Amino acid sequence: MIWVEILSRHREVTARFRIAASEARIGRGYDNDVIVDDPYVAANHLRIFRDEAGQWITEDTGSANGTFIDGVRTRQSRFAIDGKQLIRIGQTLVRIREANYAIDPERLAPSDRPALPVALAAGLAATVLGLSALTIWLGQTSEPRASSYLTALLGIIGALLVWTGLWALLSRIFSGRSRFLRNLLIALAGILALTVYNEFARYCAFAINWPSGIIYQYAAAWTVLAAICFLHLREIGPARLWLKGAIVTTVLATAIAAQTLQQSEAFSDFGRQNTTRLLMPPALRVVPVKQEDNFFRDIAGLKARLDADRGKAAAGKAGR
Amino acid sequence: MNDLIVLIARALRTSLLPLLLATFVQSAVCAPGAPSSAAEGIYASAPPRLLQIRTLLADAGRQTSIGSGFLVSADGLAVTNYHVISQAALEPKTYRLEYRGADGSHGQLSLIGVDVANDLAIVQLDKRDAPFFTFDKAAMEGAMPKGERLYSMGNPLDLGFTIVEGTYNGLVEHSYNERVHFTGALNPGMSGGPAVTADGRVVGVNVATRRGGQLVSFLVPARFAEALLERVRGRAAAPSELRGEIGRQLAAWQSSLYKSFADQGFRPASLGPYRAPETSASWFNCWAQTNADATPKPRASINSTTCTSDTGLYVASDLNTGSIQINHSYVKSIDLNQFQLASLLTNLSQPRVVGGGPFRKWYTPERCHEDFVSAAVTPAHPPLRAIWCAQAYREFDGLYNVVLVAVSQDDGREALVSRLNMPAIGYEDAIALGKRFLEAVQVTR
Repeated sequence: MIWVEILSRHREVTARFRIAASEARIGRGYDNDVIVDDPYVAANHLRIFRDEAGQWITEDTGSANGTFIDGVRTRQSRFAIDGKQLIRIGQTLVRIREANYAIDPERLAPSDRPALPVALAAGLAATVLGLSALTIWLGQTSEPRASSYLTALLGIIGALLVWTGLWALLSRIFSGRSRFLRNLLIALAGILALTVYNEFARYCAFAINWPSGIIYQYAAAWTVLAAICFLHLREIGPARLWLKGAIVTTVLATAIAAQTLQQSEAFSDFGRQNTTRLLMPPALRVVPVKQEDNFFRDIAGLKARLDADRGKAAAGKAGR
Repeated sequence: MNDLIVLIARALRTSLLPLLLATFVQSAVCAPGAPSSAAEGIYASAPPRLLQIRTLLADAGRQTSIGSGFLVSADGLAVTNYHVISQAALEPKTYRLEYRGADGSHGQLSLIGVDVANDLAIVQLDKRDAPFFTFDKAAMEGAMPKGERLYSMGNPLDLGFTIVEGTYNGLVEHSYNERVHFTGALNPGMSGGPAVTADGRVVGVNVATRRGGQLVSFLVPARFAEALLERVRGRAAAPSELRGEIGRQLAAWQSSLYKSFADQGFRPASLGPYRAPETSASWFNCWAQTNADATPKPRASINSTTCTSDTGLYVASDLNTGSIQINHSYVKSIDLNQFQLASLLTNLSQPRVVGGGPFRKWYTPERCHEDFVSAAVTPAHPPLRAIWCAQAYREFDGLYNVVLVAVSQDDGREALVSRLNMPAIGYEDAIALGKRFLEAVQVTR
């Protein structure tokens, strides 16, 4: 006994036919055992039969478009089936398996499945919203207003739901399951990573006098975005991860390069770094206070850069 | 109409008011005690020696700005303001100069020399042996009595040559540049015109008016015009690279300005527990501000003092530089926590390099450095968060705009934000001044 399976383009079984006889025919005509409604399939396309050795054989019975095995370029006329091949006739994928085909063992169901992810999502959401509220509170120097929290927090919640909903929809379309909770977890983890990075970068800019973390914040933001996009894509389907990774990496590199270019052009247009020089409570300072002479020695070093800028400007003007 | 707007806009921006002067002749001194007839006499004799100076777009042949001027020698040399001819001085390929005499004569002008610091220029007319103005002896020696009647002449708003009666009020106080305070109505277009005594001798050159004031006008003392005239007499034309010359004059003037600023030194002013460096120079205008009466009630009190020097120098129609500023803000938390106060201080301490005019035309990008600094490890010197930003002038070697901001780091509930703006300064001068400034920030608890 064999089973003939018709697969979708996403390699999912859409129809299954049980063949008890020792021979079966596949084609578009009504004289076949399995009828395939594909205009690129011949009226009688394939014949499946058992040879003398008892091996199941597939044979093209003279179609114009031919028969192919997925992943092999050459046209096949007769081949033994192994249950794993995807046979392409016309635009249809067919898989043929014997009744004794070895399948994966039964997977054990997690005992109390939804509890942990739900708790995790709630915890992450509370952390993200709490951190945002704290940031707003610590930055508030004028009259406290409920709306300044409400607007920001509702904005975050809204963006989160739209983003997760979009990925759930894509997942539903392409893999049949929306996996809303897992997509939500990914998005929350992304926001949390970004928030923690931002606060850490701000702290470093002041406490250890290291402003690069803020200056290149945009690169971190793009990286986090790329990482969560990759995880979302993995949720949709684990197939071809390397391709998904490559696409995400390419988009990430392009985005960072474009923004770096845009920032350097803005710098030469407006002559100003688009960064704020941050202050924090004096108690947070980590690096020692510099001797005045050392500070002014560093500053004297800036002169060379300014003069180089002037030289470049003069050269540019002469060149025009 | 468009030209007129250009003229007005330009004069307002520079705070300069050109006045056209009709020269009087000696004979004008006919009726002592009857000033109006003196004005009549002065005006009657002025036309051959009084000029309107027009800057023309070379290709279009139309004026882009208008000022006044007056003849000072028989061989056709005339005095005007630098700001009247600055476009032609900086962009000789784009602009050219033309004069129209009050007597109807007109012709080409060539530039002979400029004095940027005193906003003066000498131009050469293509006519010879015309009558000219002479300088007043008493004014040159500074012996002019306050209250003396002066007559200022020019072509205000291109409406025609006029004479304006006013009074001499001595030199302007709290001014680094020597300027005569003239109480009279100067208007745009009269820049570069002469202000003369009743006997027709030049006391000063119309240069500016105070925006928002009434009849408060300024003259460049005549002795600077005479000095410049002596310097350039015999020159056939201005040095070919006038831009370089202007840059050198600017650098020399700024260098002596900052030397004088440094010589005057800083004196401590009390702001809460802090002692903040204020300048001892008399040519600064100082004002205080507070947010104590703000609504809603502020959550941190901010009391600040700002001292600005009146040393702004006209370099080009879009570049006015040289005004030094010292600003201190004492910030004390009322009900802000330390983080919130730090956010407030962050806003107050952003280094904004002050440079007028379009950035890409005049300046290189700004470069900054920030760090924790201490002048000395004593309780009197609080640790500071210091931010230094500087940009170079593209055209003028050795000149930079520098701003230094220092925020005291000795207490989380209050702080002093000190700011020193040094436009158009030499880099070493800026470092020396910045050092003294930081050392002078002190605290007593």
